[in-house]
Amino acid sequence: MVYVYAFVRGTARPRGLRGLADAPVRVRTGARVLAVVSDVAARPEPTLDNVRGHDRVVTAMAARFPAVLPTRFGAVLADEAILADALAARGAVLDAALTLVEGREQMTLRLYGRAAPTTEDPPALSPDLGPGARYLEGRMTARRAETAVPEMAALRPVLAALVRAERVERHATPPLLATIYHLVERGTASAYLEAVATASGRLGNVRARASGPWAPYAFAPDEAL
Amino acid sequence: MSPRRGGSATRATPSPSSATDILEDVDASLLDVIDNVLNKGVVITGEIVLGVARVDLVYVRLSALLCAADRIAGRPRD
Repeated sequence: MVYVYAFVRGTARPRGLRGLADAPVRVRTGARVLAVVSDVAARPEPTLDNVRGHDRVVTAMAARFPAVLPTRFGAVLADEAILADALAARGAVLDAALTLVEGREQMTLRLYGRAAPTTEDPPALSPDLGPGARYLEGRMTARRAETAVPEMAALRPVLAALVRAERVERHATPPLLATIYHLVERGTASAYLEAVATASGRLGNVRARASGPWAPYAFAPDEAL
Repeated sequence: MSPRRGGSATRATPSPSSATDILEDVDASLLDVIDNVLNKGVVITGEIVLGVARVDLVYVRLSALLCAADRIAGRPRD
């Protein structure tokens, strides 16, 4: 059985790297998108050692390949033929995601404190909208609220030049308000951390804690393989 | 701070607790690794996957631990 750590693009070939259960890591060559795999005898459990092992392989791949898309822990496939089929079916989606993360890495920004009150009323819906359109409008408003982070407004000017893409998760576990994943050019992590440290005093009652750089786990495509 | 090593019985089938056990005694610096590896990344699923360890409960526990780590770290100096 095959365990997949990441998808990559590039010409490097890792030698001597060990993955879960100390199995050798290899790159499964295919078309444009390559898979980083090792053989496993059984589905690995999410122990601390295995989670670290997964991340260790991903980090090693990020050092060798300019474009790396980490996988989520735990998926075991029967064999490489099945993996090849999946790659063929989803190759375009993965290729686009690899283009986004090429030469880039992830910074994680977590905000703690009190959530900002919603200041704007939902826009009044035109009475001409039918029930379907109203539903969609409501969903869009809800989605904007999910990804908006008014609490970090003071950070945006200092981070704007560094951030290439953003993913947001709001949390229902105060004081943890939100986690913002930022995609930055490789080599700019120090500048990012410095910018957050400099501007964090402008956030009022909100605390900002930044970490990274990490491989771009948060920038995987939305759809599952 | 080194993680406490506890003995655990081998389970024939995975249970949610085996996934949340990982969060016991975890250094704050590892929380981001766990968030990345268990909650993020390309999801490979469906018929092609033989089975994925259940990690549903990790997300809630992780948020609680992040809050705890924030309390311990204290407020940054202005």
